[in-house]
Amino acid sequence: MKASLQRTYLISRVTFLEAVRQRFFAFLIVLGAAMVLSSLSFRFLDFGHGELKFIADFGFGGMFLFGSVLGVVMTAQLFFSEMDNRTALTLLAKPLSRTEFLLGKFFGAWAVLAVFLFTLSLLLGSVMWAREQTLLMQAEQRGLPPVNGLFSGGGIMTYALLQWLRMGVVIAIVLTISSIARTFLFAVIVGALAVVAGQLQWIAQDVLLKPTESLTYKAFLWTSSRLLPNLQQFNIGDALVLEPASVPADAIPWVVASGVFYMAAYLVLAAFIFRRREI
Amino acid sequence: MTSAISVRNLTKDFRIGIRGLKLRAIDNLSLEIPRGQVYGLLGPNGCGKSTTLKIILGLVSATAGEISILGNPSATASARERTGFLPEAPYFHKFLSGRELVRYCAQLSGVSAEKVGQAVEEALALAAMTEAANRPIGTYSKGMLQRIGFAQAIVHDPELVILDEPTAGVDPVGSAAIGRMIHAMRDKGKTVVLCSHLLGQVEQVCDRVAIMDRGKLVLEGKVEDVLARRDRHVMTIEALTPAARDAAETALAAHGAKVTSVTHPRRSLEDLFRELVTGSHDA
Repeated sequence: MKASLQRTYLISRVTFLEAVRQRFFAFLIVLGAAMVLSSLSFRFLDFGHGELKFIADFGFGGMFLFGSVLGVVMTAQLFFSEMDNRTALTLLAKPLSRTEFLLGKFFGAWAVLAVFLFTLSLLLGSVMWAREQTLLMQAEQRGLPPVNGLFSGGGIMTYALLQWLRMGVVIAIVLTISSIARTFLFAVIVGALAVVAGQLQWIAQDVLLKPTESLTYKAFLWTSSRLLPNLQQFNIGDALVLEPASVPADAIPWVVASGVFYMAAYLVLAAFIFRRREI
Repeated sequence: MTSAISVRNLTKDFRIGIRGLKLRAIDNLSLEIPRGQVYGLLGPNGCGKSTTLKIILGLVSATAGEISILGNPSATASARERTGFLPEAPYFHKFLSGRELVRYCAQLSGVSAEKVGQAVEEALALAAMTEAANRPIGTYSKGMLQRIGFAQAIVHDPELVILDEPTAGVDPVGSAAIGRMIHAMRDKGKTVVLCSHLLGQVEQVCDRVAIMDRGKLVLEGKVEDVLARRDRHVMTIEALTPAARDAAETALAAHGAKVTSVTHPRRSLEDLFRELVTGSHDA
């Protein structure tokens, strides 16, 4: 068991080092940071919402958008670079199981997403804190009654953790697709479609709630609405950051349990498929 | 003692297209590779050599047949722990240094933390890569890539080393260096299996060879046996009957020559290979 963990750690470490050296990672993290910072310039477009809410939404949008691109493209790239360059031949000829190899890829990619999300979260927290200080100062100058913090820094970190979990699910899905796919492009396109379908999955669940005569239709909806996770359920950033008290007590444990379940299920499926793949 | 590798009735079909068409890459191949020898697996491109090696290593599944490595079923972790592999045209992570790569492979192969440092240095020394070991792999020449690939294959002191085209694209000096490494492995009692197109080198380093064509084994045996031309003879005159010897000596002496030995003439491995393989492809 210890040896297995050691081998998985070694693969994930090299996967992480390979990924963070890529220009693609640097490009996306700069793009994400630029989006978070630019929220200050675009805050006048808040459509009547609070400034901090606009900044938070802008930042969360950047984290989700670029995080998803990174999760799909980078994971497929890390997998196919091993296959196409035949480094997988060297590695899998060693006493390394295919499951260990796949888990190493997963944890390496997930660690990259951790760096990405927590860097942007820290930046977003700093931007919101700076803006909050300005707003509080302005309120004091106008003689308005003092208020405590306008946003929750802990809420941003909780949100970042939930996004990290969401990206873990995305990476597991992309690894499953990659273990079937023959080309990088196929894995990226199907992976991106799976993320979009996961974002829209709540629609299927919504339809499922409506009464229907046909049991077959209901069974189809039930199955299709559970094959992919509901990625929309991770979007509780606004509430966590601006109104933490409004988040139901069981919301976060439920989202975490669901995320962990789908992540584990897709990894088991990926390992099962990859075991039969000819290298 | 069991063979290093035992292959029995191995067949591999690849599915091509979506109509269920199959391409037979290996056809009922049987091989016994003895321990402690250098074994050459030869054949033209596409004859199934690399596929055979991949099946032996568990990287590709067989359609039919049985394989065992060092007495264990192939593809088990225990078999792979005792096997080293250098793939054809190896590619490694460019950002790692040679030393980091060899250490990484040693750790993956189960070398203990206390021994890993020494094992890495010994493998680097055997591959003559100590001086360049701290350079990133991206800066290595083709020959250096092969040598660092050789180092990663032997770092865990395997009993069996499988080398797929170890000298492909390497200049003669590099090829000679790899030849010396193979000799060093044999001297240590290891079994080395290699695929190569450099037939001259195979002839020099291998104890036994197998020649494959279109997925089938066409010849297998000791190098000196398969190269001996038994349809012709070089005669040692002393071994002949006295009458014949007299006649021969008289005839030869008349021309100022002296007969000293009769031996089997040899042809080169390259000639044998062309004779066995090229003809069938021209058809």
